[in-house]
Amino acid sequence: MSLWVDKHRPRVLDDLHYHAGLSARLRALAASGDFPHMLFYGPSGAGKKTRIACTLRELFGKGAEKLKIDQRVFMTPARRKLDVNVVQSNYHIEITPSEVGNYDRVVIQELLKEIAQTQQVDLSAKQRFKVVIINEADSLSRDAQAALRRTMEKYMSNMRIILCTNSTSKLIAPIKSRCLLVRVAAPTTEEMIDVLRHVGRKEGFDVPDKIAHEITEDANGNMRKAVLVLEALKMQSTDLDKPLTIAKPDWETYCHKVGDMIIQEQSPARVMEVRAKLYELLSHCIPPTIVLKTIAERVVQQVDESLKAEIMHWAAIYEVRMRIGNKKIYHLEAWVVKVMSLYKHLFYDINMTDFDD
Amino acid sequence: MAGGKSKAPAKPQGRDIRNFFGQSSQPAPASSQQASSSTSVKHTNEGVYKSKPIEIISDSDEPKPFRKARADSKAKPSDIKTKSERIMDVDEDDVPLPTLKRKKAVLLSSDEEEDSKKASPPRKKAAVTPASSSKPSASTSAAKPKAKAAPARTSKKKQDDDFIVSNSEEDDDISEYDDDDEDIGKKGKAKAKAIPKAASKKTPARPQPTKAATKAPSKAATGDEDKPKPKFNWAAAKAAKLAGPVAPGSKPIPQAAAPECLAGLSFVFTGELSSLSRDEAVELAKRNGGRVTGQPSSKTSFVVLGSDAGPSKLAAIKKNNLKTLDEDGFLNLIATRVPDPSALDEKTKKKLEKDREAIREAAAEMEKREKKAMKASAAAPSAKPALVNQLWTDRYAPQTIKEICGNKGQVEKLQKWLQDWSSSLKSGFKKPGKDGMNVFRAVLVTGPPGIGKTTSAHMCAKLAGFTPIELNASDARSKKLVENSTNIANTSLDGWMTGGNATNAAGIAITDKTCLIMDEVDGMSAGDRGGVGALSALIRKTKVPIICIANDRGAPKLKPLQSVAFNLTFRKPEVAAIRSRILSIAYKEKLKIPANVIDQLIEGAQSDIRQVLNMLSTWKLSSSEMDFDEGKALVKMNEKYTIMTPFNVINRMLGPYLFSPTARETLNDKMELYFHDHSFIPLFMQENYLKTQPAKLRNFDGPEKTMKQLELMDKAASSISDGDLVDALIHGSRRSHMLPSNRPEQHWSLMPLHAVCSTVRPASFVYGAGAGYGGPNAIWLGQNSKQNKLMRQLTEVQARMRTKVSGDKTEIRQSYIPALFPHVVKPLMDIGASAVDDVIDYMDEYFVTREDWDTIVELGLDQNKDDIVLKKISTATKTSFTKKYNSKDHPIPFHKATDLGKVPKKIAAAGPIPDLEEAMDIDEETEEFAEAEEESDDDISKDSLIKAPKAKPGAKSSATTKGKGKAKR
Repeated sequence: MSLWVDKHRPRVLDDLHYHAGLSARLRALAASGDFPHMLFYGPSGAGKKTRIACTLRELFGKGAEKLKIDQRVFMTPARRKLDVNVVQSNYHIEITPSEVGNYDRVVIQELLKEIAQTQQVDLSAKQRFKVVIINEADSLSRDAQAALRRTMEKYMSNMRIILCTNSTSKLIAPIKSRCLLVRVAAPTTEEMIDVLRHVGRKEGFDVPDKIAHEITEDANGNMRKAVLVLEALKMQSTDLDKPLTIAKPDWETYCHKVGDMIIQEQSPARVMEVRAKLYELLSHCIPPTIVLKTIAERVVQQVDESLKAEIMHWAAIYEVRMRIGNKKIYHLEAWVVKVMSLYKHLFYDINMTDFDD
Repeated sequence: MAGGKSKAPAKPQGRDIRNFFGQSSQPAPASSQQASSSTSVKHTNEGVYKSKPIEIISDSDEPKPFRKARADSKAKPSDIKTKSERIMDVDEDDVPLPTLKRKKAVLLSSDEEEDSKKASPPRKKAAVTPASSSKPSASTSAAKPKAKAAPARTSKKKQDDDFIVSNSEEDDDISEYDDDDEDIGKKGKAKAKAIPKAASKKTPARPQPTKAATKAPSKAATGDEDKPKPKFNWAAAKAAKLAGPVAPGSKPIPQAAAPECLAGLSFVFTGELSSLSRDEAVELAKRNGGRVTGQPSSKTSFVVLGSDAGPSKLAAIKKNNLKTLDEDGFLNLIATRVPDPSALDEKTKKKLEKDREAIREAAAEMEKREKKAMKASAAAPSAKPALVNQLWTDRYAPQTIKEICGNKGQVEKLQKWLQDWSSSLKSGFKKPGKDGMNVFRAVLVTGPPGIGKTTSAHMCAKLAGFTPIELNASDARSKKLVENSTNIANTSLDGWMTGGNATNAAGIAITDKTCLIMDEVDGMSAGDRGGVGALSALIRKTKVPIICIANDRGAPKLKPLQSVAFNLTFRKPEVAAIRSRILSIAYKEKLKIPANVIDQLIEGAQSDIRQVLNMLSTWKLSSSEMDFDEGKALVKMNEKYTIMTPFNVINRMLGPYLFSPTARETLNDKMELYFHDHSFIPLFMQENYLKTQPAKLRNFDGPEKTMKQLELMDKAASSISDGDLVDALIHGSRRSHMLPSNRPEQHWSLMPLHAVCSTVRPASFVYGAGAGYGGPNAIWLGQNSKQNKLMRQLTEVQARMRTKVSGDKTEIRQSYIPALFPHVVKPLMDIGASAVDDVIDYMDEYFVTREDWDTIVELGLDQNKDDIVLKKISTATKTSFTKKYNSKDHPIPFHKATDLGKVPKKIAAAGPIPDLEEAMDIDEETEEFAEAEEESDDDISKDSLIKAPKAKPGAKSSATTKGKGKAKR
């Protein structure tokens, strides 16, 4: 009944379809008894978490798969209560500190110390240490990252930390230097097709080459997306040999509409309309960076060659500003206005040259 | 520049200091080249030209009393004119200016000169004068000996002379001025060269013996000459100030043909004038006695049209067939019009006469009253201070309803309510009466300070036969005191006569009717715990009328009163409503103040009568006359800083005037606007900056206009984006990874920069006509809170799905929700109720609850948008879905802490609790007992108390008081 992504997720390192070298390395590490802190990084949908889960299983055996969710309450210095969801098995615990925003430091400090200061009580456990998985480590605040540094060294005997992140650029160097960096790259097209075929076989059908290529192209290295799309297509029509169009997710089509709006008209009124749509996207939990990226790509497709570089240049600039600043919409809108202005100028310049000719 | 720097001295002292400098400052050879070169010429021309200035000057207005001619008999050693002296010259010019503005004092004795000056920027102008003044020195030097003899000689005079001389050689001089400007600009005063001492004569005193072949100073003549000066100064200053931008300042402000030359005329200004800013133009009209209104009507005498005039006003002009003027016409009118009293029609004349008569009468009435009071107080020395010692506000407090300025309707209502009090009391407050007021036992009077709220309340009470008892912020008004010290049951007067409150009634005849006036209710603060609550409880039961007075009607503190008291809002009275009253008081006090100055005072004080009276009474101590500029200065000094609402700020910011080339506001003034509400105004700016028609586009057309507009928008938007970066440094950003810490950075010193980036700069690009600026509430704040809410819900969904799904929040949103949609939502849309079971199974698989289902729908965009989706799901399907879901058990991945957490401690409530305060008492009581339990060993007494706490009133009350005591601590 579950989605195929979850149904056919590999459980052990041996089942993983790609990055065989990496799997071997992980297996060796798990066997050695000298397991380091680790930092998994790579694009989303590349299989980081799957790989971490497989590694855990390798370390602790089946027990690591018995997950339960707990909600823990922490108290900030300002006496505010924080609820944090904690996923745990007997051998490991998994937290997402970014859930609590600016107070992640509190969670890191308290939770880690608590775990680190108790020994593994299960005598039959394969390892003497417990593992803490920190998800979305790139959104840890500086304070929280600093809080991690000493803990990672001091409690090595009781605890290993596995950080999971999309990019290492936002982690401070001391953290990186304490971890074994594991890059989980996005699968190649062939690897993805391989996986799709595997899924198809398990579900009892063949994935035609054409559709497999289309899916992988659309997924752009995101394995999760590829499998989800495959399932969606299969739902749409049982016969995958027919020409099919891949349905985009709602937010993506919405972003594309915004991009089209920018190209169609350049006026204050249009900016207001775009602003409303941007608000809509942001308030529906689409990250501003994704919004900017998707719209920019859409706009770039439709403009003159000479403008492409400039539009992307400004998109990059405003993306940085969004990260530094508070109110994302200001920067998104500034970019929109900038693009409109550039576009209009080019438009009229062309007209002028036409006249000249 | 020189002038600017050294100008400070205050009016009265200025001269002395100047003198001091003039005499003792380091002697330095100072004179301009021209001066020396032209000396001889001047000598020869002297006689001829001197006669000229007098004529010109003498037709100007009457002498300023406070600038007394100052006898100055000193002559300096002629060869040591110093730089400082030159500076001093400028000072002198400045000092007499009554306004505090940095007007450059430039004496212009003729239009030609003005013309020649306009071109140069203001500061320079100041410098020019001194420089040029040195030229004439030759001529003055001749006069020197005489000057000594004749004590009255003013520097001004001298300068007049100078100009005159220069007139004679107009062309040459103009070019020389320019040279001077440059020189001075470069080197400062250093240029000064040896000047014939004569120049130094400039004694600050104005009266100058002048003239003509006979230098003999005629004091009378000088007196006449003095008057024009303020006017000249003013005009020159305007011209100087205006000299910055291109068109602005291009026109000289003419000297008024007569004082009050615009009297009887009313003006409407619309559009943007080319050389005057709107404020200046309005002021100019008012200064000369004109009336300025906002909207044209049939009574408007002239509409002064600028560019971009408002369409509605143009329509009104057409409709009413009004006369229009352009800026030149307006200035010309000032220069030429001499109001002819006889030209006024009979009606106006009569009206004026009547007004005057009324004022005289009112003053006489006051006089009479005062005499009576004097007699009374002489007969029985009372506690009241003698009349002469009273504040004006007391002395001239209105004593009849008629005398109250403005708010007539409200006062009448109040009076009516009080008169009806006894009958409404009898009827049990059931009959609403005409205004619906009679069902209330109290009235809440609100309005800005100084408009007579307290006065009206007292007077109405007295007139209706009540004895007003006033409690104000100087009295403690806690719950207990309010309850105990007010005789609301109106049962006995003994309490008032003999009790501790006898003082309240002192001096007021006690009748059997009292009226409680709670003044300054919004001032009930920390010390008055429970005061407002107690007051509203009191109002529910009271048998005497209660009038509550407060400033801010919307204050949250007054919430309890809103429902029990009739709300009576006093408004700021119109200027016209106060004018005559103030005029009669001024008349009575023998203050000579023209009506337009009074108007200005009232407007400046924002119709705060009390403040106007206080200003006048202070002014009276030093002078008994006031002219326009003095009034302006006084208002400026007493300026009230009111907080503008963001709506007003944004209208001003984006409006066409603040940034127009003729505007006079400095960058600081504009930034000041931001600080009216620094957290909201940037939001307003971002919300509205696209809604203007930028004034900068006026000269563009077609594609060029579009491009220019986009360019302006781009600049504004990127500036707003800059502003947000600054904001992140001030308030910290939620997740800023670029900064060393994501705690608030608190660089508050960056706020001015934020003001510029987020507000002033964007506005400077896009300002222009526009309207309908909305607040960010609906947009930014709404979206932001929606985002936070959905984000929280999404977090919850992710937490539930976590055991099945590896993705993080954003992945859930971007991949899973679109993927789940066809499984958990679409079937309900397409198939309907029969799909419910499948859907629920699917949801259970992912631990998605019914609430999470709502979240998933709510997160949809575009074709999956929630309202579109929900519309497609029939109500029957929805109810069967909800019913089925609730009837089944579902797997739960985890329990929420809040589900398992301790149940919040309930207050031990015995039966319905009538009053919150009481509930608190009970709570404390139980605490007390709990404590007692721990401390004491006496089981029996403890038990009995616990079992029947209410049965033992003694014990209870002691516990209660203890509890309260604790609470207070």
